[in-house]
Amino acid sequence: MRSKRLLALSVVLCLVVVAGMLPLAACGPTAEKTLKIGMTTPSSGPAAEKGSPMGHANLDCIKYVNEELGGVDGHQIEVLWLDNGYDAAKAATIVKRFIDEDCLFFTTASSGMMSAMMELANRDYFPGISSFSSPVLTHPPRHIYGQTPDYGDDWAAFARYFMDNIWKGPGKPRMAMHLLNNPTGYGARDAARALADDFGIEIDFDNWVFEHATTTTSEIASLTTILDDDIDILYISSTPAPTSIIIKNAVELGMFPDMLIGCGHASFTKALIDLAGADVVEGVYGVYPTVDWDDDVPGLAKVIEYCKKEHPNDYGNMDYIISWAQSLIAVEILRLAVQNAGIENLTPQVVEEQGFKKLKDFDVGGLHGPVTYSPGDNRLSKSVRVFQIKGGAITPVSGWVEAPLVKYEEYDWFGK
Amino acid sequence: MDLPAGTRNYTYAQDMAILRTRTHWFLFVLLLVAIFTAPLYWGNYWLGVANLIGITIIAAIGLNILTGYCGQLSIGHAGFIAVGAYTSAVLTERLGLPFPVGLISAGITAGLVGMLFGIPSLRVKGFYLAISTIAAQFIIIWVINHWTGVTGGFVGMRVPYASIGGLVFKSESSQFYLIIGITCLTVFFAKNLARTRAGRAFVAIRDNDLAAEVMGISLFRYKLMAFFIGCFFAGISGSLLAHWIGYMNAEHFSLTTSILYIGMIIIGGLGTALGPILGVVFLKLLDQLLTVQLVPFLESTFTALPAGFATGIAPMVFGLVIVLFLILEPRGLAHRWQLFKAAYRLWPFSY
Repeated sequence: MRSKRLLALSVVLCLVVVAGMLPLAACGPTAEKTLKIGMTTPSSGPAAEKGSPMGHANLDCIKYVNEELGGVDGHQIEVLWLDNGYDAAKAATIVKRFIDEDCLFFTTASSGMMSAMMELANRDYFPGISSFSSPVLTHPPRHIYGQTPDYGDDWAAFARYFMDNIWKGPGKPRMAMHLLNNPTGYGARDAARALADDFGIEIDFDNWVFEHATTTTSEIASLTTILDDDIDILYISSTPAPTSIIIKNAVELGMFPDMLIGCGHASFTKALIDLAGADVVEGVYGVYPTVDWDDDVPGLAKVIEYCKKEHPNDYGNMDYIISWAQSLIAVEILRLAVQNAGIENLTPQVVEEQGFKKLKDFDVGGLHGPVTYSPGDNRLSKSVRVFQIKGGAITPVSGWVEAPLVKYEEYDWFGK
Repeated sequence: MDLPAGTRNYTYAQDMAILRTRTHWFLFVLLLVAIFTAPLYWGNYWLGVANLIGITIIAAIGLNILTGYCGQLSIGHAGFIAVGAYTSAVLTERLGLPFPVGLISAGITAGLVGMLFGIPSLRVKGFYLAISTIAAQFIIIWVINHWTGVTGGFVGMRVPYASIGGLVFKSESSQFYLIIGITCLTVFFAKNLARTRAGRAFVAIRDNDLAAEVMGISLFRYKLMAFFIGCFFAGISGSLLAHWIGYMNAEHFSLTTSILYIGMIIIGGLGTALGPILGVVFLKLLDQLLTVQLVPFLESTFTALPAGFATGIAPMVFGLVIVLFLILEPRGLAHRWQLFKAAYRLWPFSY
């Protein structure tokens, strides 16, 4: 009896010691100084069709930089990559892991996930870049940066292009909006509220603006309500799967191609064509902040080489390009920080001051617009291009269109 | 001298005690010491995981009271957590009220909303009740997304640090003590609730509501009480989650989360005090193992794997674990623990 009690106590004590030591097990002998960054993408879950190629591109580019360019000034870049599964609670623990593992900054793909991580990052002065941004992430500007123009900028650039090049009718064009029920969708709405009158576009925000979830299977009901409203253009700000369903429904109702359809960059990728079918999306317009795979820019050669070698299934997906460019920006930030502050002095705060805020006209090999930090504006790149789907391919129809800075925080309706 | 079999209780207090021997007390104190000294040897990341586990345990205990003890299936638990989260966020951020007021109000508001959506339980049960709770999930999220003047709508809203008086829970360790303290109180409440009149009424309703009613148990009163208590803890959990993350968006409370809570209490053991704890710890640690260790290892080591294979393993393993538990151990980890304790007491004999 006494031996059983002693056995039980010793087992429990061992378990307590092991449980306490497990988190420390990751500590090992000190290796050569590397530059550590955190990267997270929604590679599983409801946004996997975007997150998976983006995660691949992040890692492929870092591999290219480490193996062919020797890292940053001879220092290898160490990436801690984690899949957030488009789960907000998991994303919150991931950003804490990045901070705990002494990452210098972090990158993420999705604005939805960045909204779950940004407050924790901002509280710890831990800078981060989001490939896809929305106004709430960068307004007011703190420690979160948008790699590309946000979803509001998409709308502004597309609306400007539409009014300058497509709209020939008298009076104001009537625009309906179909928005994903998160910052992806409502970033576009906020821009429309701020700029629609200035652009001369009529939008009835009470009756012509709809929302949908990532899991939607039909939007026939919402589109039917605007069948008789002579809508000239439907703007969709969403991800590829819901966008494909909305466009299919518009075709079924006979609304498209009579009505023009424009898409924000969150959905305007090869995945949209694959999901909806090339014949369904023929003629759909969209904006995207990067070049497409057939463009002739110097940076595309390595993108194509690594994509075909490492992840050939991602070839043709423009999300791959945007994440490759994100990794190039991350490398440049590290290079500037090492150059300006020295590798021994790097902390997240130093990297932000000497890396992020020193970005000026950085060229990502022509993959998207130049990257510059402007005080008060945490968008690192401010230009998008307008594309149209022709013959199953995403074809550029404009040059770089710069999106104006909108100070949303000055509007009393912002964030409400 | 203690004997290896049989009980020797000489008073009601001894008979009713949860911790009945000196060994029990010693192990319990050891457990508390291990938990409350965790910030001394865990970094911020593992404290963050522990905080998330603590928050989830509170919500899972609430669901266990509702579904495990009272037999009222609820697949809208994430919606009630959202009610608590936004109540606390609005009261502290927009109205500037203290965190303790926000915390208690979050529980009460979520409890009242739970009672409202629990009214159908007086007429329907089983699958039909599950559908009405799914409706609760969607209705609550829709209200949150469209009540833009209060909740920020789809954009979401910032939430300040939790604070009590002048003490602001800024660091991960301080948040750990707050969350684990409330979790311990919740576990203590749930354990004792099962031994009270109300707890026994819940079990009677679960086992046979008609017989319970014939015995004089008011179904109306006790079913709504179960919804209130279960959703009260969901609201408390939501409040802690909101102040821990610091930013609220309705996307954080999906139907998938509600279903995952059902999975947690099934794997842990329905209708037991220990079940929600074991289920939450098991699934959260499994999630960490897959997401943080296995998937990055596979992605970086085996680049020839088909695209999405490595990242698809996590949800696949999750589903497989839930199915295996339902087939092989439907009574959950708590039952396995009971079998282990019984075998240990009888060892080397088998019965």
